[in-house]
Amino acid sequence: MELDEFRAGLDRWLDEQAAALAPPHRSGSLDEQMAQVAKVKRLAYDAGFMRHGWPRRVGGLGGSTLLRAYLGEALTGRDLVEPGIYSMTETLAPTMIDYAAPELAAAMVPRLLRGDETWCQGFSEPGTGSNLAALACRAVRSDGGWRVQGQKVWTSLAQYAQRCVLLARSGPPDSGRQGITALFVDMDSPGIEVRPIETMHGAPEFCEVFFDDVAVPADRTLGEEGGGWSVAMDLLPFERSTALWHKAAYLHRRLGDVLGAVPDGVLEPAVVGETVQLLAAFRARSRATQHRLADGERLGPETSVDKVLVALAEQAVFDLVAAGIAPEVLLGEGSDAARWRSEFLFSRAATIYGGTLEIQRNIIARRLLGLGDDT
Amino acid sequence: MDRAEADLLAGTLRRATEASTGAALDETLEGLGWRDALGADARTAVVLLFELQGRGGATSSGLDDVVANALGIAPDAGLAVVLPGLDSDVPPGTVAGDAVAVAGLATSRLLVAGSALVVGVGAEAVATVAVDGLDARRVGGLDPAMGLVEVAGTTGTVSPVVPLGPERWPAAVRRARLALGHELVGASEAMLELACAHARERVQFGRPIATFQAVRHRLADTMVAIESARALLEAAWEDDHPATAAMAKAVAGRAGLVAARHCQQVLAGMGFTAEHPLHRFVRRVYVLDELFGSARSLTAALGRDVLAHRRLPAPAPL
Repeated sequence: MELDEFRAGLDRWLDEQAAALAPPHRSGSLDEQMAQVAKVKRLAYDAGFMRHGWPRRVGGLGGSTLLRAYLGEALTGRDLVEPGIYSMTETLAPTMIDYAAPELAAAMVPRLLRGDETWCQGFSEPGTGSNLAALACRAVRSDGGWRVQGQKVWTSLAQYAQRCVLLARSGPPDSGRQGITALFVDMDSPGIEVRPIETMHGAPEFCEVFFDDVAVPADRTLGEEGGGWSVAMDLLPFERSTALWHKAAYLHRRLGDVLGAVPDGVLEPAVVGETVQLLAAFRARSRATQHRLADGERLGPETSVDKVLVALAEQAVFDLVAAGIAPEVLLGEGSDAARWRSEFLFSRAATIYGGTLEIQRNIIARRLLGLGDDT
Repeated sequence: MDRAEADLLAGTLRRATEASTGAALDETLEGLGWRDALGADARTAVVLLFELQGRGGATSSGLDDVVANALGIAPDAGLAVVLPGLDSDVPPGTVAGDAVAVAGLATSRLLVAGSALVVGVGAEAVATVAVDGLDARRVGGLDPAMGLVEVAGTTGTVSPVVPLGPERWPAAVRRARLALGHELVGASEAMLELACAHARERVQFGRPIATFQAVRHRLADTMVAIESARALLEAAWEDDHPATAAMAKAVAGRAGLVAARHCQQVLAGMGFTAEHPLHRFVRRVYVLDELFGSARSLTAALGRDVLAHRRLPAPAPL
């Protein structure tokens, strides 16, 4: 199906189903946001829209990845789903499609697309934030499968997740990038404990996850044993492509919202102008990335430019929120105020999660500018 | 123009902009039919010439052709165009009967061409005037190599004043901003390459300075600024809205200034010498930023417009 046809059909469906798709409440709680994303994905899956742009062998209907990009744009732009939660699919489903055994991918991916399940991504550890290749969570061969021992942290939505794409150390402790294996772990396996982390923005979406001698079957290995680093390196460009296009639609909407609310004379025109430009530049960059992906190009380190731009744009938009409607953000009592406050505070993390701004700059320096390693 | 023709033009223009500048480059452009390319495929012709001229630190009178073409007037080597003054998109002329008062800038073509196009304030009309009736001064200033000309005076027209449709001057401004935006991107990339080469070679504390994050991050930020400009320029070619081109020019201007600051710092003493080529690009981007609206004033104007209408510019659809 072509994008124009998809867009027209989807827009019509979203208009017709507006009441069914709308969130029942807007208290902004994470439980509600999760339920809302699951509901919208289910409705969009049953109507077929959620299946376009995904391969047929995992329950999709085929077609260009642009269709997925537009679906997320429309859902976030209409404020129907929280973009970070919704777009986890864009990060994790491609990894399963590329690296899981075909029958496992065929069984699991539809559950994610349909909103039946939430998946999480077990990468960071207490001793391994920016330096991902130093991760220590162990996976030891046992009875034809794996036993996992260790801890992950900053694992988004782990308390809701049924599955986890986990990076674990299968080689010796000092084996670096060569000694990592990616596993697809059932979160109800005995020995897994999840502890949500209270955060400054009020939604406990990051968790600590503890693995105590957790058994993982051999057929849950993603890619080769010892090939986890390439799984991660192929996953990260997805985290920095379609998901970011969805974020652009959300930021566009929220910038429009705040411009409607800001009193005359409060904001410097130059600050407003620069924010609009930053968002437009990010959107233009991300749009080009969506087209490269749709044309079959393999995405790589150049998506770090997209990631820097989204972080700068998000912080600029919410800096403008904090300055433009300060009484609402600082003193407001209602649910709108609470939402602005939570989004403003969350934007402070935009230069931290998913690879810090500094790590993105290092990737740009090493991989795009040829400046060598940073030591 | 198809891919093969574009590649051929790119190769020729690369050699021309590396080897020559000013009148010599104009002569080469004349010989290779760049004006025909502009008429056939403006986007390809403009992107190639201006990025390469920016990269090579070269200058030409291509901007005269770009503006004339966008005004719907056949460009010609003998026809200069008077451009607005610094940080302005206001037409540089006041047409009154068959007399025209002029105050603006021009490329070096003005000093060799017989006549010049002057668009009048209000932009309803374009007049052609004889250059020898005007006071034209070659500008030294911050970037003498750019060969800019300052022009003023009141003179008679050499042919009847031609009325312009209301969309013509904004179309010319849009096209000029895109050309200048690409030139800024080219010049910024040239600075980034010079700074990266230096950072890889220069050893201090026993290691190349490229290994220091303080250095790497300046260069990475420069690349991000350049790529922002490039993305917006491409978007602006695809939609006709003047606001997109204005944003692209502003972001390209800012990228130029960011590149100048970071690359100068990384090149340090070397980049401060007259011998090193960096200073040519630093000078160039400061002047380019000021033509047809600086990053500073375009950004403030955008902010005023957005606040007045409480509406964001419509983004291009996926």
